[in-house]
Amino acid sequence: MPSAHTKSPRAASRTPLIEVTKLSKVYVNDAVETPVLFDIDLRVQSGEFMAIMGPSGSGKSTLMHILGFLDRPTHGKYRFLGKDTAGRTDDELAIIRATKVSFVFQAFHLLPRATVLENVMLPLLYHPTIPSAERQHRAQAAINAVGLFERTNFLTSQLSGGQKQRTAIARSLVTEPQVIFADEPTGNLDSVSGIQVMGALEKLHASGHTIILVTHERSTAEFADRIVHILDGRIASDSRSHSRRSSSGLTSLK
Amino acid sequence: MRTFDVFLQAGRSLWRNIVRSALTMLGITIGVGAVILMSSVGESMELLILGQISSLGSRSMVIFPGNEQEGNVSQVLSGHDSLTFEDIERLERLTTVTSIAPIVFLPGSVEFGRETAAPQVLGVDPNFFSNQKIAAEEGRLIDREDEDRTARVAVLGPDAAADLFGDVSPLGREVTVGDRSLTVVGVTKPLGSQFFQNVDDRVYVPLSHARAVTGQKYANYITMLSTGSFDLAFTDVKALLRQRHSIDNPDDDPKKDDFIVRSSQQANVILSSVSLGLTLFITTVAAISLIVGGIGIMNIMLVTVSERTREIGLRKALGARTTDILLQFLLESVALTFIGGVIGALGGLTLAYLISRIVSGYLPTYTFAISAYALLAAAGMSLITGVVFGMSPACKAAQLDPVESLRYE
Ligand SMILES: Nc1ncnc2c1ncn2[C@@H]1O[C@H](COP(=O)(O)OP(=O)(O)O)[C@@H](O)[C@H]1O
Ligand SMILES: [Mg+2]
Repeated sequence: MPSAHTKSPRAASRTPLIEVTKLSKVYVNDAVETPVLFDIDLRVQSGEFMAIMGPSGSGKSTLMHILGFLDRPTHGKYRFLGKDTAGRTDDELAIIRATKVSFVFQAFHLLPRATVLENVMLPLLYHPTIPSAERQHRAQAAINAVGLFERTNFLTSQLSGGQKQRTAIARSLVTEPQVIFADEPTGNLDSVSGIQVMGALEKLHASGHTIILVTHERSTAEFADRIVHILDGRIASDSRSHSRRSSSGLTSLK
Repeated sequence: MRTFDVFLQAGRSLWRNIVRSALTMLGITIGVGAVILMSSVGESMELLILGQISSLGSRSMVIFPGNEQEGNVSQVLSGHDSLTFEDIERLERLTTVTSIAPIVFLPGSVEFGRETAAPQVLGVDPNFFSNQKIAAEEGRLIDREDEDRTARVAVLGPDAAADLFGDVSPLGREVTVGDRSLTVVGVTKPLGSQFFQNVDDRVYVPLSHARAVTGQKYANYITMLSTGSFDLAFTDVKALLRQRHSIDNPDDDPKKDDFIVRSSQQANVILSSVSLGLTLFITTVAAISLIVGGIGIMNIMLVTVSERTREIGLRKALGARTTDILLQFLLESVALTFIGGVIGALGGLTLAYLISRIVSGYLPTYTFAISAYALLAAAGMSLITGVVFGMSPACKAAQLDPVESLRYE
């Protein structure tokens, strides 16, 4: 590793959470091939708050779906926690999704006609080891962590956009995954709610969670420590965010 | 995913869309309800008819004059003179039948003072009462001595007694039958109906009296008991009557005979073939209604799957495996058909019960009945319908691609 001397020996020896080499993705529909990602090389360490930024259609979501085991790469290597993920069966990928990763989506994807608590408990149903007796307790803790204690038994239809997205964040938190993926989490929100949601993610990062944020807005990407630029399916730049933004002072969480 | 959780998820999903769930179930509910209603009514009818027959005992036999081709029995009864008293004397010598009781109808009304009634008046041999299991409530029945003396006595059925005497005891009173005055010596126990004839609205007189009044040389019909097997008795009686009536009938063709032999056992056989027909009919209706209901469920489940594409994508993103989704959707459809079936069965039973309450007002021996077999079959069939018709929507749901499902608008 040529740049080893610039990092502390401890950091260099740490296994990356995510290590992707020469990854590419080609969609094939009715013999029409659409190449979307080309030769992606990327490493993410546990505890990072990273943003994948780029214009619409550049392949950000595609990359996130592959990193989150919702999709498979066409070519290239993907090592997760040091283990190659090639050749995993669908059920093995489902178990990784249930235990190691979680998602926050632009469109919230909450169950309609169900309460905040029911929605937050949902991932625990698919978790192979967390005992059912702990579900309620864990879900309540996650709801409290995003400041929705008073909305616990509200139906999701009774929530504002920002509250819906914070419910989704609580849901992504409840299984204590290794990494939380957030795809345009502020995309459907007004700026004040957007800042609240980013504040919730910021808080998670501060408490040790790894967060990979996907966004096309620089202002949102700036909440992260590291910004990876994607242009036309290639990484254009990968840099530390120097002018890191924070939600504190912008608005208070309510 | 734990089994209990699959149940819980399916239950919650159905509950969240309670109106749609109810509408989806409707087809199965109506189908199962109709089948349970029909089988309960069928069962009640069978018991009703069985009751009419078994009240006579399995050895009971009847010979009617005439021919099956000539229409129904009551038409036959009046117009034929083929069963002569010489035939009856010969029948008495057969060893395969016993307790032979010829019957002669006595036309005309029955009067007491200013009261007139029109019961059926039968001149009967004393054996008739034991053959038909008719007993005395008050006084006595017609006995051998009455018959031998051509006694001027009458026994009333309870309805006939009530018509003529009201609450007064008729014993020892004189009634006028035709233009003869007879002394009432007994009233029979109320029996309701045998073979759907009201046994209670009758007046019995000695056979010898009826013969003397009418001058009839033949019986209107004959009741008797078989001593052993009905088949032997049947063969013997037919052979004897054919020989006496010079009927050449080696093919045993009932159209050539001038008499009809019936037994309650035979009626049992007919009844069981009728009930087999009914069972087949109900089974066909059940099959059709379950298929129709099942297709309804399949349709709505398929629509549900597209409506819930994003939910399915989400569940997969949260770690649901293909089998988790498959089981949830399968269980939803099975729950729909099962609950629909249970509601339908309860509805069908309620209706059948109400019907039995109404009908028993007219036919007191009609009772509410349902076979456990019908209930089990309904439960089993609705479960199977859920699995069969839920399978294709559930497979469709389970095989959705998570990324495409999440992108689905
Ligand atoms: N299933 C698919 N088949 C073909 N092309 C696809 C499919 N999914 C996405 N794409 C294309 O891949 C490109 C990248 O999509 P996406 O990853 O969603 O971009 P972003 O999230 O950066 O806006 C787009 O041009 C999109 O049209
Ligand atoms: Mg996108």
